[in-house]
Amino acid sequence: MYKAKVKLVYKQVIDEASPSGFEKAIFHASYQEFLLKSQAYNRDGKFKTFSKIKANDGRANSLHYKLSFSVLHFIAQLDNKMPVVRDNLGNKVAFDVARFELIESHVDDITVHKVAINYETEVLTMVELMGEYLLLSAGNVDGMEPVSTFMVRMQPNLAVSSYQEIPLQQMI
Amino acid sequence: MERKNFLKTFALAAVTGPMIIDSCKKESVSQSGTSTTTTTSTSTTASATGTCVVTPTEEEGPYPYPGGEITDPLSRVDVTESTQTGVPLSLTLVVVNTNDNCNVVENARIDIWHCNKDGYYSGYAGQPGVLGNKSYVGETWLRGYQLTDATGIAKFTTIYPGWYGGRATHIHIEIFINSVLKKTGQMAFPETISDLVHVSTLYAAHGINTTRNASDSVFGDSATDLANEMLSLTGSVAAGYAGTYTIGLAL
Repeated sequence: MYKAKVKLVYKQVIDEASPSGFEKAIFHASYQEFLLKSQAYNRDGKFKTFSKIKANDGRANSLHYKLSFSVLHFIAQLDNKMPVVRDNLGNKVAFDVARFELIESHVDDITVHKVAINYETEVLTMVELMGEYLLLSAGNVDGMEPVSTFMVRMQPNLAVSSYQEIPLQQMI
Repeated sequence: MERKNFLKTFALAAVTGPMIIDSCKKESVSQSGTSTTTTTSTSTTASATGTCVVTPTEEEGPYPYPGGEITDPLSRVDVTESTQTGVPLSLTLVVVNTNDNCNVVENARIDIWHCNKDGYYSGYAGQPGVLGNKSYVGETWLRGYQLTDATGIAKFTTIYPGWYGGRATHIHIEIFINSVLKKTGQMAFPETISDLVHVSTLYAAHGINTTRNASDSVFGDSATDLANEMLSLTGSVAAGYAGTYTIGLAL
């Protein structure tokens, strides 16, 4: 029985210690962009951290998307496959949208720089919830034909970001 | 579990990594050193023989962009990505120093960004507009940057911007010199031309911009500033427009 339409989101946090080439590319490109683009909200260089810049000028919240342009070309190389989350057969889980987030940074100290990429799936049908495992299906599910499914275990930084229950009468 | 496995794999790589590097050191030294030093040589002794040294291994950065190029893909003349349709607009921007007899400034980085023919920006979600609420997260069209050449000029190929509710037609600019922000500004458009463009085929669904330059929240506060922010245009809807603008910086 189909329970709900859901979207999953995985948050990949990237900082100085992140090991992969992909993460390092994101880390360095976004930090260079932070140094450039944060100046618009910190004209006299009075503030050092993103938190302080943002507290002083709320428009600095636009740095989340402004910095994203510096990393989108790296994310495009993922070919819409999440870099970490895999289903129980080891297949990478596909994402629809990747949203960049600046968590913290410092104009004089790259080691403080920390960002996240939030990978969100397309709408999936959650067929069943078995303990910590989600049985999911992509595409159209009408209950009349067998459907392809895959199974994902809930884990840290993985969450359901959108939920719409399927009414009982539609499950017949 | 996956994450744990990943970390385990990485930990293994971290352990094996230095061993591989060490073996490479010995091999390269043994090839060029004398026969008596092959078993115990290190890069230091190799250097002492004067024959060669092992090239130091350094950080991989600055992390090349896709395709291996050092250049950021957003460093581009054509910002349309071949997906954004509209009346063609070629921009010629000149940077001059108002504190130096208006001499041109070389190697100034000019960033531009503007909305598409329907009034939407690439890169973020939740934009209301003529096509309804739209999200263009993950897209980079109509954004780019160039460095000025020896004549102080940077050029872009783009489309005439559309418009969105509450703002006169405009293009955003930012200028950096040696990575220091020198100017944030916007270029305005002559309304007689914008009105022609905005009723032409590709823009007609949205029509003429209802926010005029003089009543705009950004341009409307100073007629002098507006005049100094105005792009100079030649051309036609059919042939496209060429726009020129001089960016004066008090350096």
